[in-house]
Amino acid sequence: MRELQTWMHGAIVAPKPPPADDVARRILPSRTLAPEQRLDIYRDMYAIRMEEALEVDYPAVAALLGHHDFHHIVNAYVQRHPSVSYTLNRLGDAFPQFLAATMPRRHALHDLARLELAMTQVFDEEESPLIDANAIAAVPADEVASMRLVPIRALRLLSFDYPANDLFQLFRDDEPMRTPRRKPTWLAIHRRDYSVIRLPMESRSFAMLELICGGATLGDAVVAFASRFDEPPRQDELFAWFRDWTAAGLFTAIEIEGT
Amino acid sequence: MNRFGYPDLGIGLGLRTTHYSHILGNSPPAGWFEALSENYLDTGGRPAFVLDKIAERYPVVLHGVSMSIGGTDPLDFDYLRKLKALAKRVNARWISDHLCWTGVAGRNAHDLLPLPYDEQTLRHCVERVRIVSDFLERPLVIENPSSYVEFAQTTMSEWEFIARLATEADCGLLLDVNNIYVSAFNHSFDADEYIDAMPADRIVQIHLAGHTNHGTHIIDTHTGHVIDEVWSLYADACRRFGDVSTMVEWDADIPEFDVVFAEALKAAVYRSDVREVACA
Repeated sequence: MRELQTWMHGAIVAPKPPPADDVARRILPSRTLAPEQRLDIYRDMYAIRMEEALEVDYPAVAALLGHHDFHHIVNAYVQRHPSVSYTLNRLGDAFPQFLAATMPRRHALHDLARLELAMTQVFDEEESPLIDANAIAAVPADEVASMRLVPIRALRLLSFDYPANDLFQLFRDDEPMRTPRRKPTWLAIHRRDYSVIRLPMESRSFAMLELICGGATLGDAVVAFASRFDEPPRQDELFAWFRDWTAAGLFTAIEIEGT
Repeated sequence: MNRFGYPDLGIGLGLRTTHYSHILGNSPPAGWFEALSENYLDTGGRPAFVLDKIAERYPVVLHGVSMSIGGTDPLDFDYLRKLKALAKRVNARWISDHLCWTGVAGRNAHDLLPLPYDEQTLRHCVERVRIVSDFLERPLVIENPSSYVEFAQTTMSEWEFIARLATEADCGLLLDVNNIYVSAFNHSFDADEYIDAMPADRIVQIHLAGHTNHGTHIIDTHTGHVIDEVWSLYADACRRFGDVSTMVEWDADIPEFDVVFAEALKAAVYRSDVREVACA
């Protein structure tokens, strides 16, 4: 059994079919099909299945590449990264890195792939309870610097060299997709009421949110922010950021360091 | 009634993402839903939320494609643990998977790959079905596959293999009538003989589906309406096995819920309660 399964699996996933006489030793002909034609049914379905699975997770990448190029890159990808999971949902986990390695000049494409991978991860993450909007305000003033905000699990923070979110929106709007000019952008992807939301950010708020989500206390985050931007965040912008983030449902708990 | 006491749930449907909103919003009068296990094992998002809601309103059964009961890799107990937990969460009436293998050496082709039907393979499958049933603490239900190749080393018919597997592993059977039709065409066997050979007291569920006929062979695509020849086989199955939980699978070019449900409801005319009314 093992030998037959090893052979057949290899014959299905290999780029080229095995020799016809090799197939005929193991597989019988039907009324209408030779053994190698019968095997080809499985080979063809495998290729289609892999491409469909990756197109589900990376529809904008597929659109940007076009059918021909996407087909070829998928074939190369599954040779290098065959599925090792019981679920096809994990098939595309290494796709962004693979694109970066095999198409090193397509930076916007890499950013777009990272965005789409983050969307699939956020879609499936565990649901987290949200803190009440007043919970931060209720923290005593002398404990605010020691406050640590725990992000929801369904949150990913991404910085890009290209406007990947704009590119993705072109796809969503069924507009022509053209590789954009280089421009740093920042994005939070989160889930609210089981919908995946893309929240464009600017560099200062993104930096602060990244520090907070990395586990820094608010006090440490402000110090790190000031070191990076040569000034601490203004109180009004800090207030606005936390108001918006809490309203968006990005946090699941408040911890006070030392308690 | 099957020997396991798994109930006749009437006419149901395969739960598909495209129908989530319709089902939650309209509570259609389906008897039950079959959820594809793997779609709900690793998600805490909308699929899990929807399945939980549906399980509050309808009986749910779990149907998997990744158990690889005929595989030669070790059984995946991480997968089985998650499956068992999911079944408990949604109060699954039973758990089914296919008579097939899906990959080797840790690599998954994500296909329901065919087995040679011989004594060695039978012994292997019997042992694995027993292990899985023990682990899940319920008799596993095994579906007959559709297939496109026959192996030179095969020594018995598929129906003999499945009947013996069911008896010797003490498992239930999910009889896919469309798969019988597809494989009968592809391998030139008699579908009636197949159905006649099935142990009636182990039939827990029946699948119906459309397929794609390429002339030289048929592919089990789960698309389109169930053809008349498959309905005819289903009528034979109903006469032989009595009323069994029945559903339609529709997985490609999926139409609106009402279209799929109407297709499934065609099965009602073959059930005994309707037959008896018609004869009275």
